[in-house]
Amino acid sequence: MGDVHEVPRRRIATGHLAQHIGQPVCFVGRVEKIHPTGKLFVLSDGEGKHTTVELTEPLDDEISGVLEVVGRVTNQATIMCMSYVQFREDKSLFDLELHNEALKIIHEFPEYFPFG
Amino acid sequence: GGYMQSPGGFGSPAGTQAEKKQRMRSQNIVPCTVSQLLGAEQVDETFRICGVEISQVTIMGIIRHAEKAPTNIHYKVDDMTAAPMDVRQWVDTDEAGGENVVVPPGTYVKVAGHLRSFQNKRSLVAFKVMPLEDMNALTAHILETVNAHMILRKNLTSASKAPQSFSSGMGDMSGYGGGGSLPVSGLTAHQSQVLNLIKNCPVPEGMSLQELKLQLHNMSMSTIKQAVEFLSSEGHIYSTVDDDHYKSTDAE
Repeated sequence: MGDVHEVPRRRIATGHLAQHIGQPVCFVGRVEKIHPTGKLFVLSDGEGKHTTVELTEPLDDEISGVLEVVGRVTNQATIMCMSYVQFREDKSLFDLELHNEALKIIHEFPEYFPFG
Repeated sequence: GGYMQSPGGFGSPAGTQAEKKQRMRSQNIVPCTVSQLLGAEQVDETFRICGVEISQVTIMGIIRHAEKAPTNIHYKVDDMTAAPMDVRQWVDTDEAGGENVVVPPGTYVKVAGHLRSFQNKRSLVAFKVMPLEDMNALTAHILETVNAHMILRKNLTSASKAPQSFSSGMGDMSGYGGGGSLPVSGLTAHQSQVLNLIKNCPVPEGMSLQELKLQLHNMSMSTIKQAVEFLSSEGHIYSTVDDDHYKSTDAE
């Protein structure tokens, strides 16, 4: 399986999941809901579309706000999370919609923002 | 803010383009991805992207590893485009301790430094490792990187060799002629705009002055006429049915 943190992880939005089955990815989204078991949560991207993130071990921290998840896209187009980080919003709120627009640009111009 | 706006230095557009290109070095700090740094061409100690020698670069990523040594701090910074990159920041040993605090893993940072290669492994020697306070800077870095590398690529292929600014602030190309085309060497922005319109006119009798005035809203008729006169005397365009109609000498 290998450490997914040592390879390129394309930055994607919900709409890109289907084209990245099996691929290591990086997904940024806002926490919408957390499953009671703590092994699953839902994030929304800058267009409000939802992505399900699964964990191998249940969450041991509270999560909220904007998360950046690194993991692999499963056959069900969910993300199996290997690590996540919370974006700080103590000084400024994160503009997720603008971030989505930036993702569209890097997908349109991969030659100017290469992954790998 | 704080980055250089004006290119400076490369005055004349004509002349020994090949020589100029050899030593063309970016005067600015170029925002990059780790993947772009790993992919840069290397000749001895110099690195080039699209033929432009790069010296100072910025990357933005998350600290995966941080280790303090007596004279330097060693980080591994991950921006998702490749494996994390080694970053070394020299510590000022005179400082009593406050200045170079180790940034903990899990923190997003902006790194400014120089690209180095040692035993085929590339790394950055950082003069600044700055934790992000506003995560929107990540979005800005992504956009600035695309913009800067697009400009680098365009400089490689266009006739104009004036280096452009890669400063932060979203890539303002407005100094370089309208209609999205880069200017031909030696022409002003106005002259280029007029020439491009004439070039792109498919009609056999060419483009009329009235048509030019309709398309170029912010140019006065006298400016247009001056541009047409100059372009005609330089041989870029010629008059057709009368002195009001022009075609480009650059045949399709």
